[in-house]
Amino acid sequence: MSKLSRAERKRERAAKLLIWLADRASRNRSLLDRLCRFIVDRVSRRAPHEDFMRDQIVDGNEGFDPDELDRYQRGESGH
Amino acid sequence: MPAPVPFDPSAIANAKHKLRPAKDGVTVKRTICATCDIACSVVTESKQGRVVKVRSSDNPIFRDNICMKGIIAPKAFAHPDRILHPMKRVGERGSGKWERVSWDEAMRDIGQRLKKVIDEHGPEAWAVSTSQWNTATDHGLGRRIMNHIGSPNWISGVALCAGNTAAINRLTYGWFPMGDFNNTNCIVLMGHNPRRHSWTPLYNYIRSAQQRGAKLIVCDPRKSSSAERADIWLPLKAGSDAAMMFGWLKVIFDEGLYDKDFVANWTVGFEELRKRVDEFPLDRVAKLTGCEPEMIAKAARMYANSGPSIIPWTPITDMQRNSTSAIRLQGILRAVCGYIDVAGGETLQGFHPDVVPESTIEMHEVLSEAQKAKQLGSDTHPAFTYRGQEALREPLKRVWGHEYPNQITGCYMANPSATFRAMAGEGSYPVKAFFTLGNNTVMSYANMPLIIKAMMNQDLIVAHEHHMTPTAQLADYVLPGDSWLERPWLTDAFGWMSAYRPSEQSMEPPGEALSTWEFWKRIANALDRPELVSWASLTDFYDDRLKATGMSFKELSETTEIYFDMPEFRKYLKTGFATPSGKVELKSSILEDLGFDPLPYFREDPPVDPNYPLQMFTGVREDGYFQTAQRQVPEMRQRAPEPMIFVSPDTAKDYQLQENEWVIIENQTGKISAQVAIKEAMPNGLVRVPHGWWKPEMQSGAGHLSGALQYSDAQLCRDDEDYLDREQGIPHLKGVPCRIVKDPTGGAANPAPTEATL
Repeated sequence: MSKLSRAERKRERAAKLLIWLADRASRNRSLLDRLCRFIVDRVSRRAPHEDFMRDQIVDGNEGFDPDELDRYQRGESGH
Repeated sequence: MPAPVPFDPSAIANAKHKLRPAKDGVTVKRTICATCDIACSVVTESKQGRVVKVRSSDNPIFRDNICMKGIIAPKAFAHPDRILHPMKRVGERGSGKWERVSWDEAMRDIGQRLKKVIDEHGPEAWAVSTSQWNTATDHGLGRRIMNHIGSPNWISGVALCAGNTAAINRLTYGWFPMGDFNNTNCIVLMGHNPRRHSWTPLYNYIRSAQQRGAKLIVCDPRKSSSAERADIWLPLKAGSDAAMMFGWLKVIFDEGLYDKDFVANWTVGFEELRKRVDEFPLDRVAKLTGCEPEMIAKAARMYANSGPSIIPWTPITDMQRNSTSAIRLQGILRAVCGYIDVAGGETLQGFHPDVVPESTIEMHEVLSEAQKAKQLGSDTHPAFTYRGQEALREPLKRVWGHEYPNQITGCYMANPSATFRAMAGEGSYPVKAFFTLGNNTVMSYANMPLIIKAMMNQDLIVAHEHHMTPTAQLADYVLPGDSWLERPWLTDAFGWMSAYRPSEQSMEPPGEALSTWEFWKRIANALDRPELVSWASLTDFYDDRLKATGMSFKELSETTEIYFDMPEFRKYLKTGFATPSGKVELKSSILEDLGFDPLPYFREDPPVDPNYPLQMFTGVREDGYFQTAQRQVPEMRQRAPEPMIFVSPDTAKDYQLQENEWVIIENQTGKISAQVAIKEAMPNGLVRVPHGWWKPEMQSGAGHLSGALQYSDAQLCRDDEDYLDREQGIPHLKGVPCRIVKDPTGGAANPAPTEATL
């Protein structure tokens, strides 16, 4: 088996670092956790003009009124 | 769904991912959407005890992972027609006559009738079909009870979607890999087309990878939205994935682009494989796939030279005549290029060491060898049955610590078609009791006429469901299932990943709806085997599984959104691969021992029947629907009110088809009605048939099935040997002969949905 190249070693270290950051970011309790979340947020944030996840349905999601859902469930309202 | 509000993207971009302040009277829970099978981490907001909003997670690693189906969930699960109480059939099967009963009454009768079937015909006469996402998971309890009772006949939609892929991947390198999207340099999509509102996280991963410079190769007959963004698009003929992979291997071998050290040290069968690959010069591959040889070579070079590359799982390759060979060829490409278990490549994760996996709960070791041998279809199509996976028991134990790791729940299944034949009285023994959980069985497998015949021949059918689906309409009991808003959950992506995510319960289930966990606990009690599900509650069960973490489920849920196992790469250096040889088996010893060709091959289409000059593919659906669900949700239905076939402008011209015209698509198996949509993205001669259509507002019951007999693509899906993969026995759904004829009623038989009917 050949030794790992420098690029491979770098990629493995980066992958492990990414998981470590994601792990801490997901806990989001201690100061270190919050710092990790801040870092993950910054490095993964997209500029508005490159943000392919922008979507009107998602961004316009206002949710529902609980009483309206109750009435809907009872068949008292249509759509 | 509320109308979209006007917005200025620049005003909200970068702001929405921050933690949102708590609002008065609003309870916030971190949960996982199970409307489809991709399991997005989301947040629910509840008021007055009910979920009123589902939004994307505050955690940036799950940023934007939500789609329209998740957003509409609070209303979809509040649908007035949702089944909220146990229902017992009182008329003839399929008559639509029901009476409300209690859970206790239902379970008493179900237990007695199931015991009678088992006494008369043996435990193998009981079959179960589930699709885990609809009601999320059965926690391994279904298999656990069946294994103790003695039935091997469990089937699922994963037989032709990811579960079979997992089982076949294991023949080559002993585990089902997960692509490392975050670090890869090149992604290959084999017909798969994740979108903003369909398999959203995959879309997010792929586009993020592209944004940081990763290459994208798309093999798809259609010019899909992914194809439009691709660096290379190969418009291959539907169903020719295996031939394309042979072409890539030919280029990679001839030009020496493979990882020679890895091949020399960690594979077996290279020389035999190479001879097989030599049977596929590029001009032959070009003929089989319909793609230019230069483009095939260019894609192969990009895959091999840009690495590490990934070929993510795709349901398209799962559903082909050459599925086993094609899945193996994808695995072989991964291996010979050195992309197995490396960062940026295809990671083999194993189970998380601190959490008891569902595979352990299933207890496959207690099912006797004699009963395993009775698993339907294992004699003719064994690949994902106990028989097909038997040789992996010791290697899996050696490398991954588990004798029966049931990845994607698809590694120890009965064959669906063989099961339906037995249910219809055409098998080597009868199946007379059938349970269907969150699985619209009649529309979810090939050969729908056979499935209906099978259902009508049962002594007992129990459905655990949200709605009166065409399948539930044929049941003896329809029991109300809860939804992902109404229960806790713990998922490791069906054993695909070593990380676990907890999902908090957001609201109480309505009516008498219960979880699959409760369903199975009550079944165990009804069979006088309460010890099989001895935990008092679902959270007790989770606490037990999490014991080694030192946390309860509640503590885990409060502590983290994802419980990681830190990654290790190239683990095979220490353990070898979980195959009989300990190496990557380019030539499969398991397939050889089972009597199949141990090398991948390509089986060409049968001769064209001039009566059916077109080809169709099915399995795709609109963004607002997942499989056969959501047709009763007004907001989703308004987006796609009718089943639409897609054809190219030239095909439309050849057959004088007009946009929105109702037509009939038919073949030797059956026929369906659909409207025509003319799409530039479609190749000539190919028809895209939408998956999972029925109309809940139409007449229910046998002979009607709420439009399923009129619209369901399963009517067209064949399961005769020419259209089955040999090793797995799964149907070929990508390139099936068909024809389009004018609808003699001019569409009059297809009532449009109205506000009053939805």
